[in-house]
Amino acid sequence: MNSSPTAIPHSQDTRPTPAVEARHLVKHYDQLTVLRDVSFTVDEGTVTTIIGASGSGKSTLLRCMNLLERPDQGELAIAGERVSFGDTVGDASSALSRARIQRLRASATMVFQQFNLWPHLTVLGNVSEPPVRVKGMARHQANQIALHYLERVGMAERADSYPAFLSGGQQQRVAIARALAMEPRVLLFDEPTSALDPERVNEVLGVIRDLADEGRTMLMVTHEMAFAREVSDQLIFLDEGVIGAAGTPKQVFDSNNERCRRFIAPAA
Amino acid sequence: MDFSWLNDPFYREYLVEGLINTLWLLGVSSVAGLLLAVLMAIVRIKGPRPLAWLAHGVSTVIRGTPLLVQLFFFYYGVGRLLEGLPLAQQGLFKDLLRDPFFYASLTFTLSVGAYTGEVLRGALLSVPLGEREAGRAFGLSPLQVFIHLWLPRAIQLCLPTLTGEMILLLKSVPLVSTIAMMDLLQAANIIRDETFLTYEPLLLIAALYLLLTVVLTLVLRQVERHFPGMKPQRSSWWRRQRPSVSRIS
Repeated sequence: MNSSPTAIPHSQDTRPTPAVEARHLVKHYDQLTVLRDVSFTVDEGTVTTIIGASGSGKSTLLRCMNLLERPDQGELAIAGERVSFGDTVGDASSALSRARIQRLRASATMVFQQFNLWPHLTVLGNVSEPPVRVKGMARHQANQIALHYLERVGMAERADSYPAFLSGGQQQRVAIARALAMEPRVLLFDEPTSALDPERVNEVLGVIRDLADEGRTMLMVTHEMAFAREVSDQLIFLDEGVIGAAGTPKQVFDSNNERCRRFIAPAA
Repeated sequence: MDFSWLNDPFYREYLVEGLINTLWLLGVSSVAGLLLAVLMAIVRIKGPRPLAWLAHGVSTVIRGTPLLVQLFFFYYGVGRLLEGLPLAQQGLFKDLLRDPFFYASLTFTLSVGAYTGEVLRGALLSVPLGEREAGRAFGLSPLQVFIHLWLPRAIQLCLPTLTGEMILLLKSVPLVSTIAMMDLLQAANIIRDETFLTYEPLLLIAALYLLLTVVLTLVLRQVERHFPGMKPQRSSWWRRQRPSVSRIS
């Protein structure tokens, strides 16, 4: 089933370009190798969840998707925008102009574990800032889009509040609206509920579930196993920088991979 | 107490001129100084090594020597040296290089730049990394992140300290009377020399300074209060409150 794309004649390939395509990604920190040869694709309109123990490299992998971390080797394509790293295709990293990085980042926006809202901007300001600065959109137009997405996550009434006045769950919902307002091809979630108390977790998971039902393309790192199983089309178990198991949630939960079984056991 | 000299139009004129000069010096050196401070702070954090060292050196020298000595150094030392240059004989330049106001604003700007530069550097470093990272993650350029996200946040964090620096700056202004600039103290000195009254003029300018400080404090407090993201302080005047800056854990 993991037939390489080159094996399929182009004319017969009726599948649309995948939203995310990662090939042979490698990432080192000095001596430490965090990712070794990671490849996967995320199809348009599907949800992929990366699970794994702390230190398995899953956050690094997610951060590579919008170049907050620069992979050392491999190839990455987001919505058709293809970039190569390291020695695979000559010196391609030098061709990574600011404009390309910007395009890539604008089409894969991130929701952070710690929300990372900008405290000196209002809720509305937080959501409209990236379209204004990156897309050069007029402020009033960006505000309209921002309000639309704030409504979507149920935060429109708090548009004029500052982040410090919001609960963690509300802040994370604003952060989701901020990521949506760039109208990206894929949403990246980096442990979106890990900083929340149990009561707030459901409030945020509810929003993410709605987005999944809407057919948004999403790539998520989470420790919420039950949730991952419920919403994901694809589950990737990452273990020490390698994909230990991947497939539908059922396949991964039934995987023969010893470490995967042990990791999942408490949730299954 | 003899305040009859206040009726003398000449003395009044001195005082008004002194007051205006004081305010001008305060305005020029705080604006130019803050711009310099931003530059010094960011160069020390992100600049290339040699520039960072230069900024560090300048800041150490300025903060490690008395303001009065710096004023003398620029006015009597550098000033006299520059006057010898052929370029300095030309109209505009000539006037500028003879004007004590020029040297006073130069010295004060450097001083504000060095002191608030350090304050700002600390504030920039204490802005959580995640806020800048969020900017990058959405595709903002490093300059955009600095101007729209990082710097405003840092200013928000150190605003009370910055306003304190402004008030200290105001009260350093009388030093310029030593380089023959007409400020309030210089006006008082002239009045003293001509009327043989010591305390009355001093009392008057002390009162003026107190008034200026109170006004400046009130203005700066409004700035602090209305700075975006600051929590409004709602409780009544008799209740104590902690200074609050919005913060995200």
